[in-house]
Formats: sequence, C-alpha cells, structure tokens
Amino acid sequence: MSAGATDAPVGVKLVSHFATVEQQKRAAVLGMWAWLLTELLLFAGLFLTALILRLLHPEAVQAAARHLKVWIGATNTVVLIGSSLTMSGAIQLSRLGWQRGMVRFMLATAALGTLFLMLKGYEYYADYHEHMMPFLSDRPYALKDSPPSRLFVNLYYVATGLHGLHLMTGITLLLVMTWQASRPGFLAQHQNRIEIFGLYWHFIDLIWIIAFPTLYVLNR
Amino acid sequence: MTSGTITGGPALRDPHTPDSRLGHGADYLHAEHTLRSWFFTTDHKRIALLYLASITAFFVIGAVTAGLVRLALVVPDGQVFTNDTYNKLFTIHGVVMVWFFLIPSIPATFGNFLIPLMIGARDLAFPKLNLASWYVFMTGALFTLASVVLGGVDTGWTFYTPLSTAFSNTWVVPALIGVTIVGFSSILTGLNFVVTIHTMRAPGMTWFRLPIFVWTHYATSLIFLLATPVITVALILLIAERAFHIGVFDPAYGGDPVLFQHLFWFYSHPAVYIMVLPGMGVISEIVPAFAQKKLFGYKFVAYAAIGLASVTFFVWGHHMFVNGQSDFASVAFSVLSFAVAVPSAVKVYNWTATIHKGSLKLDTPMLYAMGYIGLFVLGGLTGLYLATLAINQHVHATYFVVAHFHYIMVGGTVLAFLGGLHFWWPKITGRMYIEAWGRISAFLIFIGFNVTFFPQFILGYLGMPRRYHVYPPEFQFLNILSSAGSTILAVGYLFPMVYLVYSIWFGKRAPANPWDARGLEWTVPSPPPSHNFLTEPVAPKVPYDYPLQAQETGRQHS
Repeated sequence: MSAGATDAPVGVKLVSHFATVEQQKRAAVLGMWAWLLTELLLFAGLFLTALILRLLHPEAVQAAARHLKVWIGATNTVVLIGSSLTMSGAIQLSRLGWQRGMVRFMLATAALGTLFLMLKGYEYYADYHEHMMPFLSDRPYALKDSPPSRLFVNLYYVATGLHGLHLMTGITLLLVMTWQASRPGFLAQHQNRIEIFGLYWHFIDLIWIIAFPTLYVLNR
Repeated sequence: MTSGTITGGPALRDPHTPDSRLGHGADYLHAEHTLRSWFFTTDHKRIALLYLASITAFFVIGAVTAGLVRLALVVPDGQVFTNDTYNKLFTIHGVVMVWFFLIPSIPATFGNFLIPLMIGARDLAFPKLNLASWYVFMTGALFTLASVVLGGVDTGWTFYTPLSTAFSNTWVVPALIGVTIVGFSSILTGLNFVVTIHTMRAPGMTWFRLPIFVWTHYATSLIFLLATPVITVALILLIAERAFHIGVFDPAYGGDPVLFQHLFWFYSHPAVYIMVLPGMGVISEIVPAFAQKKLFGYKFVAYAAIGLASVTFFVWGHHMFVNGQSDFASVAFSVLSFAVAVPSAVKVYNWTATIHKGSLKLDTPMLYAMGYIGLFVLGGLTGLYLATLAINQHVHATYFVVAHFHYIMVGGTVLAFLGGLHFWWPKITGRMYIEAWGRISAFLIFIGFNVTFFPQFILGYLGMPRRYHVYPPEFQFLNILSSAGSTILAVGYLFPMVYLVYSIWFGKRAPANPWDARGLEWTVPSPPPSHNFLTEPVAPKVPYDYPLQAQETGRQHS
C-alpha cells in the first residue's frame, strides 16, 4: 500500500500518575476487558431468558422465529465479521505507524457498521409490515393466540435494540477517533487507543455472533 | 517554611518536591480552595469526600423516612398516614438507603480514599473516570429525587412486577431510570478498583501483602462488574414494559413476572455482599490496630472474601421459596445458602481470635467494630433460619425478614461505616474528634439499634407481615418498643454529625498515625499530600506487622 510509505512514530505518552508506560498500557487494556465483562453480563440475562423460553415453549418460539429474516441476519453476521477484519487491519497498521492506511481501514470499519444498521433497519421495517410488532396498539400482532411467542419477539427487540445501540455508540466513537487519529502526532502519543477501541469493536461483533444463533438459527 | 505543619517529620521530605508542595499548601485539603478545584478534581481523596457528602445527605433522607415509618407504626389502626403515603414512605426509605447509601457507602468513600494509599499508588488507574462516576451517581440521584418530588413511588425498593408495571399509578419510570443510572456509577467504581489493584501496586506490594481492606474491595468490585449489569438489563426491561408496552414480565403481554424476580435477585443478593464485604474489610483493619495484634489467619480472611463473592452468585433463589419455583431448585438454593455461612464464620472467628489476648484499647472505632461483630453474628444466624425451607414458609415476608436484613445492613454495614469513619477521620481531615462523644454515640447506636430491631424478630415470628401499617392491637407493645428504640438510634446518629463536623475546625491536630496502626496510609502525613507519597513507598514485608502474634500469646505453639 503506497499510503503506508509515510511512517509516523508510534508510542504512548505517559500520564503523571503512572510510573511507566508499560503500566499505563496494561491498566488501559485491563480496564477495557473489565468493561466488556460487564457488557457480557448485560446481554447474558437476555440470551439466557431467550434460550429458556425455547425450552419451555418450543413451538411458539419456532413460529415467532420463522418470521425473522435469516438471510438478513446471516448477511449481517458476515458484514460484522468483515468489519472486525478491517478493524484488526487498522490496529496492525497503527502498530506500524502507517497512519493514512490506518485511517482508511477505520473508515471502512465504520462503513460496514453502518451497513449493518441499515440492513437491521430494513429488517425491522419488514417486521412492521408482517405485524410482528406486538407492542404497537394500532397493528394487531400476527401470532396473537400464542403469548410465549410474544415474549420471544419482545426479547428479540430488546436484545437486538441494545446491540444496535452499542453499535451506534461504537460507530460514533470510531468516527471521532478517526478524526483525531488523522492528525499528525496522534500515533506517537495515543497509539494504544486504537487497540483499546478494537477490543470494544470485536466485542460488539462477538455479541452479534451469540445473538444470531440464539435468536434466528436454533432448532429452526 | 513552616515545617511544623507536616507532621510526618523531616524524614519524609523529598528533596525533589518543590517548595510550594510543602508547608501549609501541601496537603490535599489545602492545595486549592476554589469550588472548581472540588467539582472538577481528579484526586481520589477529594472525590471520596464528594461521595461522603452526598451519601450522608441520602442517609439523612433515608433515616427521616424510616422515622416516619416508625411513627406510623406506633398506632395499630393506620391513622397516622394514608395507605398511599405509607407505601411511598417505606419505598423512599428502601430505595434511598439501598441504592444511594449502602451500596456506595464504604467503597465510594473509604475505598476511593484508601485503596491508592494502601497499595502505594498516586491515584486510581482512571482518575477522570472516577470523577465521572460521581457525576453519574448524582445524575441518577436527581432522577430518583425527581420521582419523589413529583409524587413518589409505592412499589417498595424491589420494584416487583406486576405491581411496578401494571398496577402502580406512581412515578415508577423516573425512579427506575435513576436506579439504572446509579448502577453505572457502581460499575465504573468497581472497574477502577479492579484495574488499580491489579496494575498500580507499589514495587514489593504483592497480593499477600495487601491489607484485607483491599482484598474485600477487590471482591466487592468483582460483584459490581458481574452482577450490576444484570439489574441494569432487568430495569431496562421494566422501563420498556411500562413506557413502551414491550412486555417481558406482564402475562397480559405474554411475559412472566417471576422472570423479574430471577433477574432482580441475581443482582440483589450479591448486592448484599457489596454492602457487607467492604464493612468486613474495615473491621479487619480496626480489630488488629486496637488489639495491637497481627490479624489471625490472614490468608483465610482474604480467601473468605473471594469465597463469599463467589458463592453469593448462586443463592438468589432463596428469596423465591414461596413463589412456585420447583422443590428441587428450592432445596439446592437452601443448601447453597447454608454454604455462605462458612466463609462468613471464618471471618468472625478470625476477628475473635485476633481480639483474644490482644492488648485491647476500647476506643471509638473498636467499640463500633465489636458492635459490628455481635450484630453481624445475630443477623447471619437468623439468615440461616430463613434459608431453611420450612421456617421460611412460616416467616416469609414478615418482620422477621426485616429484622434479619437490618441486622446485616445496619448492624453490619452502618456500624462498619461509622467505625471506619472514626478510624480514618484523623487521616482524612487531619483532626481528632472528642473521644468521649465518640464512645457515647457508639453505645447509643448499639443500644438503640437492638431496641429497634430485636422486637421485630418477635413480631415477625408472631406473624406480623412487612409493609403493612394496619396491624392487630396485640402487636402494639412490640411496635412501640421498636419505635422508641429508633429515637435512641436517631440521637446516636446525630451525635457524630455534630462532633465530627465540629472537629474539622476545632479538633486537635492529628498526628500521622494516632492509633499506632500498620499500613501504608499511616506512613503519610495527616491529611495526606496531594500526590499521596512524598517519597517512594516501601511495601511492608508482612501485612499487619503488630507487636503481638497468635503464636506468642497462645498456650500451644503450633
């Protein structure tokens, strides 16, 4: 890549309350992992409930799950895994100091994230069309004879909505950071921010990888 | 240069420290005086004081509503307040005391202040995040207070469905939003502590040289990180159901009300240990200092903290013995709940063994600590009664339960909080309070507490249900006794508020180590300098290196 020809110095600036840069980097990585641990527990309750619901009411959940668009879910899985690939590309280039290439990979990551949200939005629209939004009082629910299916559909909206919220936060942070990272000197002072953000991005991806089989695929 | 203001003496003076850092302006309280220097500070010690001021305010709100509840219960016919007002009063009491006082109490104040000092760090790993956690806390508090001002909430602090989603006509959603937001401040505090304890320890400060206070805060932080997100999602689901009819708990929308209880108690049982573990840490510091004796069984006490934090995740079902869960689940939860007694007892035995043949000084912090041990034992043993399936059927949702958890939360956490406040007050403010007043307040609180809550065990056993203010006249005597005790308790709480505040301006100046205690926080001047350590801290080879040890005083040499 020709853009990478301009190598920038790479490093992390020491903040005064740390003794060494190594300590500071270790603290940042551990901090993000600790945050991701709480995020995992945030989603775990929803996924566990959805799984138990499948065990208790298999037919009702299958009937509801059949309305979900597997092809959109599958495409979105590929899109997000692709975005993780571009994000790890950005991390690799940041380590090498290839600033312009890194910025391009970050923009590609944000674009893939946005594509995911657009596809998800289209899926919600299709759900609306099929009367699969039981919380709307003016649109009678398609499976109204089956209360457990309604619980499953509601969990689907909360889980995917919460995931979408995380993705939107991720895209916003990514765009702000891309703007900062495109300025000269960024990599010399804050290279580890790219890596820390990468952990978060991969994690959102991971949550979707759990959500997709739990909601769309299981005993279909 | 007025050398007298640094009480640690000339040995602590670092030649590289600029002169402006010495003398009167050196300590963290006097480094700057502007409002901005308090509200935008990133100094963990100042943030601890911001938390101390705010949780004290919430404690007052919670205590006043408790007083009104006790006032209503003086008469059996429920004539003092309307039913709605009574419901709102005990809800405010519970919500404020649990989420705005007990959970942040010790970690956000003493944990914030002491963990960096105890491990030899200049600050927590993420100082800005620490400040942010206080603002998040206050934002959540504003939402909850708004719900009170707008008209109150009547669901009880547990927000059980379907009352909270379908039947309550009060301001549930703002209260829920407030509690959800406060959860994030807990998570940020816990995250900061975990990272700080892992990465910021001074050279030589190995895990088994850490004070037990740090161990218990590490265990507490793990609960913050692992349990809080589950209540967050449960409350989000409640808000979604109440505000947008995305039903998950209400059977009318296809939901399951018991699901809420599972999610709620998956957090709220571990939350009991968020409240109890930091208190255990405080007691583990006070007892060796006032017995001048090495903490008995250090490693057992440390492992017991981690043990409690682990087992507590598997006992939530003991809150649900009568809601129709399977018998098998109830038996399993009952057995696991009994297992909690093991690490708890390890701690109590180790404190007792530390006191045994120590050279005791019965100063105020020690009085609180000994009160704590007694009340915690009583609260813990009645917890075993409640974990027994047959007895639980009889006393479920009665005053027996109320008495039990007040023995743990007030007898345990509040006494530990006050003990810690008196123990570290000289370090935090640089001033000594008047010892005689401290001892009087400790006695008043111990007596007032027992007169208030012991009758409630009997009331509950006789069958008085919680959350009712109309009750059979034969329960009136015990209720009046309980209300009378609460007035003694109130006087006991007022005393420290007066003499501690008085001491800030008029108290004697405190030396660096007034109790002859061990631990890095006592090696720095009182109050500590802004950057904590003037010279590189040296980790002690052995924690709790007091003159007396069990081996020297025990009859048998093991």
